[in-house]
Amino acid sequence: MNALGELGAPGRRAMGRKGDTPDSKAGFLFLLPWLCGLAFITVGPMLASLYLSFTDYNLLEAPNWVGLDNFKRMLGDGRLHNSLKVTFAYVLIGTPLQLALALAIAVLLNRGMRGLAFYRSIFYLPSLLGSSVAIAILWRQIFGTAGLVNQALSVLGVASPPGWIADPRTALGTIILLHVWTFGSPMIIFLAGLRQIPAEYYEAAAMDGAGKWQQFRRITLPLLTPIIFFNLVLQIIAAFQAFTQAFVVSNGTGGPSDATMFCTLYLYQRGFGLFDMGYASAMAWLLLAIVGILTAANFFFSRFWVFYDD
Amino acid sequence: MKGGWRAGVLGLAAALAPLLAGCGRGGAESGTVTLRFSWWGNDKRTQVTLQAIEAFQKKNPNIRIKAENGDWGSYWDKLATQGAGNDAPDVIQMNESYIAEYGKRGALLDLEKAGVKTDRFAPGAADAGRLKNGLFGINAGINAPAYMANPKIFEAAGVPLPDDRTWNWDRMADTARRIAKACPKGTYGMENPVGVEPVFKLWLRQAGKDQYGELGMAWEPADGAPFFEWAKKLASDGATPSASEVSEETAKPIDQTLAATGKLAMWSQWSNQASAVEKVAGTKILLLRPPSATGRCADNKTWYKASMLWSASAKTRHPKEVAAFIDFLANSQDAGRILGTERGVPANLDVRKAVEPSMSETDKRVAAYLDAIASDLGPVPIVTPVGGGKFESILQRHGQDVLFGRKSPAAAAKALHEEMKGLLK
Repeated sequence: MNALGELGAPGRRAMGRKGDTPDSKAGFLFLLPWLCGLAFITVGPMLASLYLSFTDYNLLEAPNWVGLDNFKRMLGDGRLHNSLKVTFAYVLIGTPLQLALALAIAVLLNRGMRGLAFYRSIFYLPSLLGSSVAIAILWRQIFGTAGLVNQALSVLGVASPPGWIADPRTALGTIILLHVWTFGSPMIIFLAGLRQIPAEYYEAAAMDGAGKWQQFRRITLPLLTPIIFFNLVLQIIAAFQAFTQAFVVSNGTGGPSDATMFCTLYLYQRGFGLFDMGYASAMAWLLLAIVGILTAANFFFSRFWVFYDD
Repeated sequence: MKGGWRAGVLGLAAALAPLLAGCGRGGAESGTVTLRFSWWGNDKRTQVTLQAIEAFQKKNPNIRIKAENGDWGSYWDKLATQGAGNDAPDVIQMNESYIAEYGKRGALLDLEKAGVKTDRFAPGAADAGRLKNGLFGINAGINAPAYMANPKIFEAAGVPLPDDRTWNWDRMADTARRIAKACPKGTYGMENPVGVEPVFKLWLRQAGKDQYGELGMAWEPADGAPFFEWAKKLASDGATPSASEVSEETAKPIDQTLAATGKLAMWSQWSNQASAVEKVAGTKILLLRPPSATGRCADNKTWYKASMLWSASAKTRHPKEVAAFIDFLANSQDAGRILGTERGVPANLDVRKAVEPSMSETDKRVAAYLDAIASDLGPVPIVTPVGGGKFESILQRHGQDVLFGRKSPAAAAKALHEEMKGLLK
């Protein structure tokens, strides 16, 4: 059984049971705090924002119903279009790179080296820290005009390196790099997946004269596709929600020249900076629709490349 | 050291918060009222404001003031969120650019009705917080746009200080170019003005227009283009920091800016910030009149601004106590002596007179500057309309487009004009 199967299993078991046994009552009781959180902190505000997306809510006055006006405004909003471009670039470049790096490191760590637990923790660390404010501030220092990277470059003789974060041509790249660096959580999942590929397959392949690369291509990759798929779905959703890095690195501006203006950041600026919460709510629903469609597409196309070995 | 002190205060405030909240709740019985008071600003401001609070509490033992101070960057987002949640602080340090936003939407208390006096204010000074529907902000100090000059850099470059009564923008650019040439790499003659709202406003006013009028925008794209062209030329000549340095500069805390680290000879700043700048730069800073288009300072169309305003939430449960506290800040000589000119020269003439003898040398220079430009002033600008609060960050973005060569000056002026027009309500 692979990791995805295991993830699905408790759900299946729970569904098989009758809903009114004492056990399930206790279960719901234990779930209660989470259910309350879901209702009051997630679903309630979501429904409120759905309502607000059809209003001109400005934070200070009672909202007025404006129908589809907010959604019509989106069509002519050049900054929104730019922010979509920036977000898609971030997701479509950042996520594959991050997953490729996660897989590569996982394969390296899977070779049964000594001190595995230590290395695993070290590589996982950035995932814990990566979305924190402290790291984003550190990033600003490292990639600043007088930062670490440029100091190193000037030692190497590069005459006038750009201010990576302050230049619109490179600013998004540095944030993508920060994202790629937080490859730890997909790496851990890859590691778990790699552990479950039976060693006999490799032994048999080696017997037949397959090299390391062929073993990776013909055995590891196909058997790992469910895990890759799982990571892909999760990481794409997470990447669309990225906010902290861009907010801190650009000091909340999404600059320079809107180069790091993610949808989430633009939404925030509209809502809280420009008192345009109705429009911001509409944008949030646009974002939800985009993520929903992409995830559905992901599931649809998965049948052509994901291989389940059970 | 400074940071540590600040962290200490914040920590202390956080530690005391439950205690103070407790006081507030117990207040119903014991007669003690707790007011929340929010402001933005530097360490020096925090220091003097906390002292003023203490003095007020000593005189009014039944009122506790709970400080909620932060920095400018997050202040407005936080205030908007609090306003939306019916949780706005009782006393709010307000800015001119947002007063219409809040005041016209019924979020602020009419302070005239609440009993705050402005009868001893300098002529016109009280109007800074007046909207058609009431007096929503009390002038916290008088301010004016100024150019700061670091005399040490002038000296090192061997460039004489310009005569600010006769200089025009070209003279200023020339001076900046000469300084940049004479100084080591990384030191500049002046800041790049491209994202600086008051300088942009000066250019419009000197062209016979203004940023805002009764009908919204009071300028045309053609009036903005020369400003962007000037700024672009300054950057490409090397007289000012480069495009990417300019965008980096906006994200820096005040003590790490080029001005504070002695790498800038001239930059624009509100006059009240002179003492804070001197503190971080560690050197004497001179205040110069902004240049004019004609080379006559009487034409520079500068203006007095309320550095900031004291406002109160319309939803406060203690309007009487709020009015007493704001009255203390604006009209009491005790508060005046403690606060100095950190928020500008006191608008109340009695307070100003009482404060003058004990003013620091810098404060005296700031007051002298304000007196000196009294005869230069242009028309009084109208209050920033609803939707204008983010003008400076929008100007910065289009300015960056110009400096990075992504837009021509004319296209940037047009885009800025269009975007602002769309935002004004």
